[in-house]
Amino acid sequence: MKFWKLLIYCAIVLTLALFPIQGFAKSDTLVYGTTEKVTDMDPAHAYDFHTWEIFYNIYQGLLTYPAGKTDLAPGLAENYFISVDGKEYTFELRKGLKFSDGTPFDASAVKWSVDRVIALKGDPSWLVTEFVDRVDVVDKYTVKFVLKNPVAYFPSLVASVPYYPVNPNIYPVDKIIRDPSEMKGGKLVGLGPYVVRSFKRDQEIILEANPNYFGPRPKTKRIVIRYFADATTMRLALEKGEIDLAFKTLNPSDISDLEKSNKINTIKAQGPYIRYLCFRCVGPPFDDKILRQAVAAAINRPPLIQKVYLGQNAPLYSMVPMGMWSHTDAFKTVHGDGNIAKVKKLLASKGYNEGNKLAFDLWYTPSHYGDTEVDLAAVLKNQLEATGVMKVSIKSAEWATYKDNWKNKLMSAFLLGWYPDYIDPDNYTAAFGQTAGSRGMGIFFSDPVWDKKLTEGQTLADMQKRTAIYKEVQQMWTVDVPTVPIYQGILYVFTQKSVGGVLLSPTLRFNYDPIYKD
Amino acid sequence: MPFSPATGLAQLISRFTGMGKKYGVEWWILVAGALIVLAIVLMAMFSGAIAPFNPHDQNAGPQLAPPGGQHIMGTDNLQRDVWSRIIFGSQTILRIAVLAAIFSSIIGISLGLVSGFSGGFFDRVLSLVMDSLYSFPGLILAIAFATMLGPGVINITLAVSVIYIPTYFRLVRGQTLSIKEELYVEAAKAIGASRFTILWKYIFPNVIATTVVVFSLNIADAIMIEAALTYLGLGLPPSIVDWGMDLAMGKKFLPSGQWWLITFPGAMISMLAIGFTMLGEGLSEILNPRLLER
Amino acid sequence: MTIPMVFILLSIIFVVLRVMPGDPVSSMLGGHAPDSVIEEKKEQLGLNRPLPIQYVEYLVQICRLDLGDSMVFNERVTKSIADKLPATIELTIFGSIITLVLGVFMGAYAADKRRQPQDYLIRFYGIVIYCIPVYWMGLMLQLIFGIWLDVLPIAGRTGPRVFASMFEKTGFYIVDTILVRDFSALADVLVHLILPSVTLGLVLSGVFVRLTRANMLEVLKADYIIAAEARGIRHRKIVYKHALKNAFIPVLTMMGLQFALLLAGAILTETTFSWPGMGRLLLERIYLRDYPTIQGIIIVFVLIVAMVSLLVDIIYAIIDPRIRY
Repeated sequence: MKFWKLLIYCAIVLTLALFPIQGFAKSDTLVYGTTEKVTDMDPAHAYDFHTWEIFYNIYQGLLTYPAGKTDLAPGLAENYFISVDGKEYTFELRKGLKFSDGTPFDASAVKWSVDRVIALKGDPSWLVTEFVDRVDVVDKYTVKFVLKNPVAYFPSLVASVPYYPVNPNIYPVDKIIRDPSEMKGGKLVGLGPYVVRSFKRDQEIILEANPNYFGPRPKTKRIVIRYFADATTMRLALEKGEIDLAFKTLNPSDISDLEKSNKINTIKAQGPYIRYLCFRCVGPPFDDKILRQAVAAAINRPPLIQKVYLGQNAPLYSMVPMGMWSHTDAFKTVHGDGNIAKVKKLLASKGYNEGNKLAFDLWYTPSHYGDTEVDLAAVLKNQLEATGVMKVSIKSAEWATYKDNWKNKLMSAFLLGWYPDYIDPDNYTAAFGQTAGSRGMGIFFSDPVWDKKLTEGQTLADMQKRTAIYKEVQQMWTVDVPTVPIYQGILYVFTQKSVGGVLLSPTLRFNYDPIYKD
Repeated sequence: MPFSPATGLAQLISRFTGMGKKYGVEWWILVAGALIVLAIVLMAMFSGAIAPFNPHDQNAGPQLAPPGGQHIMGTDNLQRDVWSRIIFGSQTILRIAVLAAIFSSIIGISLGLVSGFSGGFFDRVLSLVMDSLYSFPGLILAIAFATMLGPGVINITLAVSVIYIPTYFRLVRGQTLSIKEELYVEAAKAIGASRFTILWKYIFPNVIATTVVVFSLNIADAIMIEAALTYLGLGLPPSIVDWGMDLAMGKKFLPSGQWWLITFPGAMISMLAIGFTMLGEGLSEILNPRLLER
Repeated sequence: MTIPMVFILLSIIFVVLRVMPGDPVSSMLGGHAPDSVIEEKKEQLGLNRPLPIQYVEYLVQICRLDLGDSMVFNERVTKSIADKLPATIELTIFGSIITLVLGVFMGAYAADKRRQPQDYLIRFYGIVIYCIPVYWMGLMLQLIFGIWLDVLPIAGRTGPRVFASMFEKTGFYIVDTILVRDFSALADVLVHLILPSVTLGLVLSGVFVRLTRANMLEVLKADYIIAAEARGIRHRKIVYKHALKNAFIPVLTMMGLQFALLLAGAILTETTFSWPGMGRLLLERIYLRDYPTIQGIIIVFVLIVAMVSLLVDIIYAIIDPRIRY
């Protein structure tokens, strides 16, 4: 009887299922779960937080941020000198370094890699092309960057991924690499503490300690990065002890449950990730800065964060994030939170009142920033309408359309988020307040005074003068309000109790080598 | 005998049970379906009066309160009352599903009539197009159209209706083909009735009866497609209350124990679809007695 | 599905995609890319040429059996599809097995017990189960078996400690794990299949309950069944062997027609269970406006539907000796 056969097969399957799954992972292996995705395994084209994080661990910059620190330290370069005019940076490289396949590392690899990034015109290439005129090999262990203009924060740029030297023998000159299998030799060869042992897109990446690494040996021999398609599964896997560590991005409800759990360690740090509301500063209604100020005063950050993120982010009152030098709580002192009296006064001066409400569209994008975004839009709408003098309609568009929309000036007010490209206040201000950057973000704010001030901040080398400039810029922000800061992200890492050595820093770097497992 | 409410009611009941005796279980399926649909339609019509809270009120109660007390279905993370959102959500889904069914039936029936009646090249091409649409997974088409049109109630309605046009078209075209060979149509032609008159007066009334059943089943299906689209996040802004969207939002609270956020919206979608399906099933058995097995 | 039908579908999809707002280049490049770079990329991808020319080129490409390159990632379309297709096939195969077994046996039982409470119960089940949205059913099963009872994994193809790159060859994890004889991994893969395929199978079983029941009723009235009864063959054997075999043929035909429904269900099931298959790929690429990949996926879906109807014809011929091709 076929039916009985089927039943027997089912029984076999069930018995198999009852066998305990033998843990593949041993104690020298740490399984790290994430819901992020790897894009291109190529410093010339990758431009996302998670792929960069892997690069931090398999490559090295000339300068680098040590785990958990915000100050630059020597990396592949032991030392550097700046010319008097501030336009030439000369780096002296460490001698005797080898890529993980044994190829010696020297100045020509640096030049080759940076030239390749310039030539390929990949997504992050502007981080090089905007600033660097050319790269010269001075001698075998000395390399010189000649800049187009003096750039005060060039050292932090050099620490970013597009400047990372790669092995000329394995990356093709004229093609962007997506999977390591496309490389010459089919394997990624790096300079960092770890090497890629196996790579399976959207499933897992297995990293092993690099025997040729010049620094101290990583504490854990093998790291497996396990890619989860959703946060729920990752949370359950962590609770069941199937993964050792979870980082980015759990749902607010999962975070608050895990924080309470006494079987799980929570490591928390201020992130450099900020969210804000942008205005299109040309055309009605928001070409009028008074209206922009009114919206800024209407937003009430703490309850918003409590509702949408169960209190897991920090209210932000400036575009320069907390923890970065020159940060001030400018918006808090000038506009406050949910300041309805002020909103009414500002709008009344422009002829808006309960009978004649200020009506506008508020745009959000439903999946790019996670599925909490729709809640964020709903809460903002409620807060703005609670003033009694605004009428908000919510509109949404998928990311591809969203970008087109802002270029085509279709959105009067829209929500965006920012991960820094390099760690400097300039990256949080000029991108929105300077004419060129502002146009690229769909804000179209332009003011010669601002442009001059921000250019000064970019070129001056004196820290004290720069701090003063950015403090002033933050004050100017509360008057002209091209954007309204809303919150700053908090980073959460959850680990099993046996895991230690997790160091988070506001630079968003996450180094794997200090992590250990008892 | 003078009319009194009591006798009227008695008559109604006896007629009801009489129908029940005549048609058996099918009658009761029809009645049950109609009652479910009626209940939800009433809910949609009198939302404002029934709902204890404004569905957008973000201070209706504490955050994520479980069902009980003031909030019989609990509250969500934005402190909104789930029961009120369920009540108001019925408006959205009913409006979209019914409109989509009307829209696709009008287009499908008229195209089917014309195509089947006129025949020729036009008929062949249109049939081919409709057949290819019909054989392809409807949901994928709806997703593509919804993305193309962008979010909004009207756009979702259009995206949903596109996939049912072939259903009506095929049904009506087939019937038109057979009816147009009937003697009375030939007779009408002979006495010189115009093509429009023949279509409208002789063919259409014969075709419409069968589409009624399809219409009801179509609404049931459209309900599920609408909810699927909004569940996938294609579709509506948060200023519109929608069951599919609430379900998608509640999904992330699955492991934290907030079961009420997914249970109630999903149960309502199922109920509404079940109501229309039972209505359609009952109708089909009663309207097409030859299918009735005794 | 005929060739002209495939052609029409592809044309519709082509037009719909090009009318959609947004394009692959702007979704690929960050906000920083200057307009000149965007224009250059568009030129390179041929997006600036007139639509009719793009359309003709697209058709020529399809005729050469070439699905092209993704416009958003540096990837062949065939590769990204080949990565995801096995997952979807595994899910649909298991889903349809559950559907068939449940649907056919319940339908036959209902027909046998016609007009008895069991019959009504099963018919009611047929209606109700068909009307439960597949994603909600999935969520509720996740809630019950994954969270409350905590006995089954709720998402993904393998657990976090079973590394696919260690055994993956064909992409069909059941086959792969058997090939390398890693039975604990096989068990893990099977356990992960339970909830998604049960969800898919349950929801679609409603249709088959009704179909089988209706066909069984016809068959049970046939002369040879009555004759068999008269000859005193055991009732159960008559119903579940002779009658069911004959009622099964039209059901199988319907299975071919319903396969589109199964695929649509698979898309929603994949989203709910984070199943890394074609449905999720399709949704993701629609958001990114990755035209070649979307078109490629549609072509594969069309091919699958066509192949299944062919397969059904073949099985039909085997089961029913009267049919000869």
